[in-house]
Amino acid sequence: MDDYGFWQSWAAVFLAAIGTFIWRFAGVLLASRIPPHSPLMDWVNTMAYAMVAGVLMLILVHPTGILATSGLDDRLLGLAAGVAAMMLTKRIIPSLLCGILMFAASLHLF
Amino acid sequence: MSKSDPVAFTPAQMRRIAAIDAVRAPAYALGATMAGFATIAREAGFDVWMVISTSALVWGMPGQVAFASLYSVGASLFIIFVAVTLANMRMLLMVVSAADMMHLHLHKLPLWRRVVLMQFLAITSWAHLAIAETKYPRHLLMPYFQGFSLTLFSFGIMGTIGGYFLPDLVPPDVLRIIIFITPIYIFLLIIMAQQKANRLAVACGGALCPLLYPVAGEWSILIAGVIGGSLAMLYARYIAKWHLVQDQ
Repeated sequence: MDDYGFWQSWAAVFLAAIGTFIWRFAGVLLASRIPPHSPLMDWVNTMAYAMVAGVLMLILVHPTGILATSGLDDRLLGLAAGVAAMMLTKRIIPSLLCGILMFAASLHLF
Repeated sequence: MSKSDPVAFTPAQMRRIAAIDAVRAPAYALGATMAGFATIAREAGFDVWMVISTSALVWGMPGQVAFASLYSVGASLFIIFVAVTLANMRMLLMVVSAADMMHLHLHKLPLWRRVVLMQFLAITSWAHLAIAETKYPRHLLMPYFQGFSLTLFSFGIMGTIGGYFLPDLVPPDVLRIIIFITPIYIFLLIIMAQQKANRLAVACGGALCPLLYPVAGEWSILIAGVIGGSLAMLYARYIAKWHLVQDQ
């Protein structure tokens, strides 16, 4: 593993910031060109929802860092409990608690 | 909810309501997620200023995690740039969608102010905007976003700083549970989306992305987004058209 020097580390931070900023900037430019309530805007919305859901499932199924030390079954059980509670109650905080508690219980019991 | 008519709120009142909404739960969850990022970044060899700058300037979790993991293996700057750019590409669609939800065109802001506003956009504030849209009049949604996202940002930065120094204090078992909160929270928010097409998109994108990941890597988010979003859109527009009348 190579170590980065001072300038290289900060260049990396700067590049990471630019890599995100360009999309935000492009989004602002694009937003003023797409008419509101048009089919195109609906399509942008469904794709945004699908991408966000994709990112979240990626975090849950293929996590990095400390979450990776839990089992896939623990995480999916937690998700399923949260979603089921949400379907039944339509209340976010109790459902969130339900999912988290199931995850914690699954980590420690099974 | 407040008994007074939401149309009568001033922008300042709206910002305060949004800040309170944020502090109810999502701000802590996001602070915890950023704390999780800081622990990964510290392991990867970041100093505290680099961690804070990354959280503040990138402000998009998947890109930050990709950055820290590549940094830890000593990847080239070019690889880091490409990976972060790919991982945060969804920002493009989220910004367009958020601008539409808060009716940004009504406010006639100069370009630089729109860019600054969107610099604070994150998944959590985007998902909450969709809920605020159903509760408040359109001219108050931008103030709502300002109050919400700035509160979230402060908690995120505090979480980053805390997380950098915290791993010594919190047992790994508790840390795992804390980091689990944000993805579940946002997932629960978006599966309750108002439009059927958007709920369908959540199901399609969420199912496709982890399946594609082993073959497509970082590209899986983009592919799952385009395919999942298009399928949901096509279903809602054409196949489900005939029973649209009964739905409304």
